[in-house]
Amino acid sequence: MSNPEEPTTSNALQLTVRQWAGIAVFAAAVYLLVPAAWQRAEKLESGPEYRLPYELANDYWLWSRVAAQAVTDHDTVILGDSVVWGEYVRPAETISHYLNALEGKTSYANLGVNGTHPTALAGLIEHHGKAISGKRVILQCNPLWMSSPKHDLREQEEFQFLHPKLVPQFRPSIPCYRKETSERLGYIVERNMPFNGWSTHVQTAYYGSTSIPKWTLEHPYENPFKPITLKLPPPSDELRHEAVSWSVRGITRQNMPWVDLAGSLQWKSFQRLVELLEKRGNSVFVLVGPFNEHLLTDASRVKYSELKRGIEDWLKERKIPYYAPEALPSEQYGDASHPLSAGYALLAKQLLATGLLAAK
Amino acid sequence: MLFHTWVFAVFFLIVFPVYLLVKNNNRWMNLWLMIASYVFYGWWNPSYLLLLFGTSAIDYLMVVFMEKSESKRTKKLWLIISLVSNFGFLAFFKYSHFITDNINWIFTHLHWGVQLPDPVAYPNWAISLFGGGQGWLFTAVVLPIGISFHTFQSMSYTIDAYYGNIQTERSFVRFLTFVSFFPQLVAGPIERASNLLPQLQGRPVITRDDVVNGMALFLVGFFKKVALADYLALYVDKVYGAPGDHQSGALLLATIAFAWQIYFDFSGYTDMARGLAQIMGFRLMLNFNNPYVATGLGDFWGRWHISLSTWFKDYVYFPLGGNRKGKSRTYFNMFVTMLISGIWHGAAWTFVIWGLLHAIGRIGTRELESAAWYRERVPRFVKQVLVFSFVCLAWIFFRAPTVTDAWTILTRMFTTGWGDPQFPVLMGVLIVVVWLYEELFANGPRTRSWLEGDVVRVGMAAAMVLWLAVVAQPSTQSFIYFQF
Repeated sequence: MSNPEEPTTSNALQLTVRQWAGIAVFAAAVYLLVPAAWQRAEKLESGPEYRLPYELANDYWLWSRVAAQAVTDHDTVILGDSVVWGEYVRPAETISHYLNALEGKTSYANLGVNGTHPTALAGLIEHHGKAISGKRVILQCNPLWMSSPKHDLREQEEFQFLHPKLVPQFRPSIPCYRKETSERLGYIVERNMPFNGWSTHVQTAYYGSTSIPKWTLEHPYENPFKPITLKLPPPSDELRHEAVSWSVRGITRQNMPWVDLAGSLQWKSFQRLVELLEKRGNSVFVLVGPFNEHLLTDASRVKYSELKRGIEDWLKERKIPYYAPEALPSEQYGDASHPLSAGYALLAKQLLATGLLAAK
Repeated sequence: MLFHTWVFAVFFLIVFPVYLLVKNNNRWMNLWLMIASYVFYGWWNPSYLLLLFGTSAIDYLMVVFMEKSESKRTKKLWLIISLVSNFGFLAFFKYSHFITDNINWIFTHLHWGVQLPDPVAYPNWAISLFGGGQGWLFTAVVLPIGISFHTFQSMSYTIDAYYGNIQTERSFVRFLTFVSFFPQLVAGPIERASNLLPQLQGRPVITRDDVVNGMALFLVGFFKKVALADYLALYVDKVYGAPGDHQSGALLLATIAFAWQIYFDFSGYTDMARGLAQIMGFRLMLNFNNPYVATGLGDFWGRWHISLSTWFKDYVYFPLGGNRKGKSRTYFNMFVTMLISGIWHGAAWTFVIWGLLHAIGRIGTRELESAAWYRERVPRFVKQVLVFSFVCLAWIFFRAPTVTDAWTILTRMFTTGWGDPQFPVLMGVLIVVVWLYEELFANGPRTRSWLEGDVVRVGMAAAMVLWLAVVAQPSTQSFIYFQF
């Protein structure tokens, strides 16, 4: 009978308790100091027209820095998805730009992030938006996210939706969200450890949202640390889509089914977000829509009106100032929910005309 | 549950403190470890637990019956039942598709017009005899993770008990813990009852050295898996996924990368397993010992998957007669052992060929390795290159999904131009650094003592932590050997 060798290590890496303590101190220092040092080294471009570069929409660590910067430079931050960000327009044609232009000041900051449905937006603010606590907030409510069970994340079948790192990982349960428990736990860790957020930032901002190992596969002969230039990609002035209206684009009228507000997951997330902001001392103003009702069939429009009324009723009941404008002119929409430049200009005018923003 | 995932971190953070509380009471300790191990194994698919429990229970009972047997014949009968049940489960879950496909292929070529059904039909037919509906329990034969590891571990107990090498384990719970001990359950080391059972019978003592050395082993294993194996897999998967699209350079480098990938993957798992066990006060056997510095194929098999190599040596090679019955019989025994080792790895012709290649290589080089001129005159480095080249050649069959793919890789490797392999320089640097480290470590006491210096050790640990934190990505990639 062969005798299995006495257990030994097949390598020389044996450390004493003191050496392990040293490694722990080193690791803790790296974890705490690197993100802070990085913030000093990496210049953050900002200004009245600044919006998060589209390709960095998943870089929540950067967004939290942008948010912190925004509250020092502006009175009011505007939160929302691509409607706030400006999907069909240039940075100087967004809602924040027109509000600033009409007021003649730089009061409003664009903190919109593409694809942040209410559940994701609630997560973004809860975990990465502490810097905006106590500030004036315009919160855009995009009813598009309640236009179907799929948008509402209530499909039973699994599908990939945007910003899974921001949604609640376990409770409340999201039926279509089937990530493995380990990945979910990893997301929770990333939310709570600035270092992990920083690490994702480096990969998103400098390696095209891929990991360094995968990047080397595409650039096999390059120095893997070369992309780290400490210069963030500037917000692009180019249009993401041609700025033409939805009808020119060939979109036909749609019979969106809309979900019932009472059972809507996205609406519950929105309510949770409003409550969170209020709890953090924010002065909250809600902008509902303006959704492109021209694109809806008559039956769908009726359902939408009911939903919109429900939203307004809740805001009224909670005494939250809001503005729920009528739909903008049809030609001022690029699709179901995104205004074109003229639409933003008109919306800004209407918004200021209500006097509600000044009252705040 | 994978060691390098957050789920396992949570699992261990629950299991370990409770373990510390109960470890001084042997009964509670074993019960707790058994529960933890079953949760660990059932995490993938709870229905696998039935199989794990079933095979363990049969082996436990057979040894109890053996002990009570008065005649050698009855004792042998219990051993045969144990072996048949273990091999039966293995044959059904692991090899039934392979066997069925090959028999059907023969039938088709003989134009017999009959085909064997999908293996899932057999258990369903048995269930239907008892009134159960078709497909009530089985819809497909799915390979349970690590089946080859835990059945071999369990079998070693019955065989050793039969030969009187170990005492009968009285506690059923302790025996279940022995078979299912979570650190090494799904990919080894395949522990012998004589090593692990006595540890489970006592009260483990955890020293400060156990904890720090266990942590070091875990860190090294974690690094091997997440930073090295999963990184190399990116290139290997790309090239082996479409061998016809790549030229000689890429195919050669992907094969070398795979040799290191599988080593980092498997030895990384083993290091983590041994580290975890050591933190809990248990010693698991060494499973890898710098295999790519081997200077002969015999040397290689003494360093690679040691727990399996010694298993085959003890339970196949020696019972066949080992080297005691003349030269030709020795070669025959070696051939059979290596062939079975190949088949153990997987139910595919690629694994059979891999086993055959090693069998031929081992037989062909045995005399050479013992010849004085080879041992004394051929430089060590040349021997290492020869062994590594041969091992890589065999890895082609191990990694390729089909024999056709393996053949494509082999032929293209020698018939196409070098091309631009697009092999990341960083990968090459990492491989060379690890090889150099292992070579210096294994080469002699002087270089080894230099590597064991404080600065080198602490620097390496810090570098690994930094690399894992910044460069490597969180991984949920499974281990290659889980499929066996």
